[in-house]
Amino acid sequence: MSTPTLDIRNLTLGFKGYTGFTEVLHGISLSVEPGERVALVGESGSGKSVTARIVLGLLQELRTARIGGSVLFEGRELDGLNKRERHALRGKAMSMIFQDPTSSLNPVFRISDQFHDVLRRADPRITRDAALERAAAILAEVSVRDAERVLNAFPFQLSGGLNQRVMIAMALANEPALLIADEPGTALDVTVQAQTLQLMRKLVEEHHTAVLFISHNLGVVREFADRVYVIYKGRIVEQGPTRAVFEGPRHPYTRALMAAVPRLTGGGIPDIDEDSPDFGAPLETHDAEGRA
Amino acid sequence: MTAPILELDAVSKTFGTGADAVHAAQSISFAVNRGECLAIVGESGSGKSTVANMILGIYPPSSGEIRLNGTALPASRKLEHRRAIQLVQQNPLSSLNPKRSIGASLRLALDVHDIGASAERANLVGALLEEVGLPADFARRSPTALSGGQRQRVAIARALACQSEIVVLDEPTSALDVLVQARVLKLLNQLRETRDLTFVFITHDLSVVRNIATRIAVFEKGRMVELGDTETLFANPAHPYTRRLISAVPVVTLEEAALRSSLAAGLEETTE
Repeated sequence: MSTPTLDIRNLTLGFKGYTGFTEVLHGISLSVEPGERVALVGESGSGKSVTARIVLGLLQELRTARIGGSVLFEGRELDGLNKRERHALRGKAMSMIFQDPTSSLNPVFRISDQFHDVLRRADPRITRDAALERAAAILAEVSVRDAERVLNAFPFQLSGGLNQRVMIAMALANEPALLIADEPGTALDVTVQAQTLQLMRKLVEEHHTAVLFISHNLGVVREFADRVYVIYKGRIVEQGPTRAVFEGPRHPYTRALMAAVPRLTGGGIPDIDEDSPDFGAPLETHDAEGRA
Repeated sequence: MTAPILELDAVSKTFGTGADAVHAAQSISFAVNRGECLAIVGESGSGKSTVANMILGIYPPSSGEIRLNGTALPASRKLEHRRAIQLVQQNPLSSLNPKRSIGASLRLALDVHDIGASAERANLVGALLEEVGLPADFARRSPTALSGGQRQRVAIARALACQSEIVVLDEPTSALDVLVQARVLKLLNQLRETRDLTFVFITHDLSVVRNIATRIAVFEKGRMVELGDTETLFANPAHPYTRRLISAVPVVTLEEAALRSSLAAGLEETTE
């Protein structure tokens, strides 16, 4: 078996504050194989976004954060890397797509300049012309027909859907091994969101990019991911292939979460508790059917 | 047959003039019956919020007429009109004053609309909080000390405080977690019944609409393209845009996926 692209083992995270120490991750373990699409799904405050930030090495720079356990990226322990080495990984070996594309692009620079910056991270000597050519090629892959106009524009001159595609194109421009997508498309209209996810799916398949997909939207997760981890209050409560988890959720929290989603086929609003002591039940693991 | 509580008659709104004019709403007509939940669905730029704002009287229509209980509403609303039609917004943190306690925010609504004797109002505030499922002593708390779901309950309580008849709900649950959303939607359903309220529910979330609305109006680019009761509209959407909208919703069960693909059949692949 090959080395997983991302292997998180017993990760803990706590913050030191005025009121003492608060632990927010109580030992989570997850892995993403090369080319695999893995979703981490949970509600706000469950710890899904901080997990992404630790993988990117962003929380390590925070003085109040206490991180335990290990994060292996392509077999390398991230904790052993210094700040510069970690910085070198970001934007090259791993990249991230954020929820709101319009606010994650810099409003005072044209898309072309921002693309040039991104490509320079992998190849510091790339000329502007070569960068633009490469940018146009990858924009074409995300179905941006008018690459020249888009590259010449400022982010606020483009629609949310176009900005999101620009973000996806930038994130994949340096052929990263791992893409972290934190609620991509949540800020977009449903029809645009559906297209964006389709494009993203096509692209990561073609480029064989591993994806850690962070979302609260179960529908989106079902359509995008190969495997799912359900996170609740800093603990993984259920994990398994997407189909198995969606067709036969076992953990009380996963069941409640699924039941709470209003159905397109009707049936009314379900009567479920916001919280229940059952949600603290131990981890449920579905067999890795069809996985080597 | 009783008269509709709210009627829009060829209502249009244009922002700007000449070549820069934006036709945000174009000749919108529909009637809302007392006690129903009419959903207005559409994507950004569809004009759904423009229509909501005109119903609320935030700005008057450029042309056309809005009638409440059969009487045309004036461009500048009287206190009585503002009492009758209330709003619950998407983000309760920004719609509640952070420097005021929950109790003071609710009390203000009672004071402005002169509801109850002034000695009674503190009790009314407590009763309102209990009606939306919060403890009465939350009145002393600041909005920042509440969770998102609790804050949205407060916003609902405030909309009810002045004995409103129509509540315009503008994406009331889209900022909430799904478990919390289910509870808040349940509460809204229950209040509609006990208080004989009429809802105008503005949202982009068709799964929510399917389960809470009695009728649905679909908006696209400033026009109403379809209006029908919920069951019929989902069973047999007439307009291609409605089909496209429904078939883009991410779903969790196989039955839903089947419904979606049956609607998507025959739609052309389109990208922006």
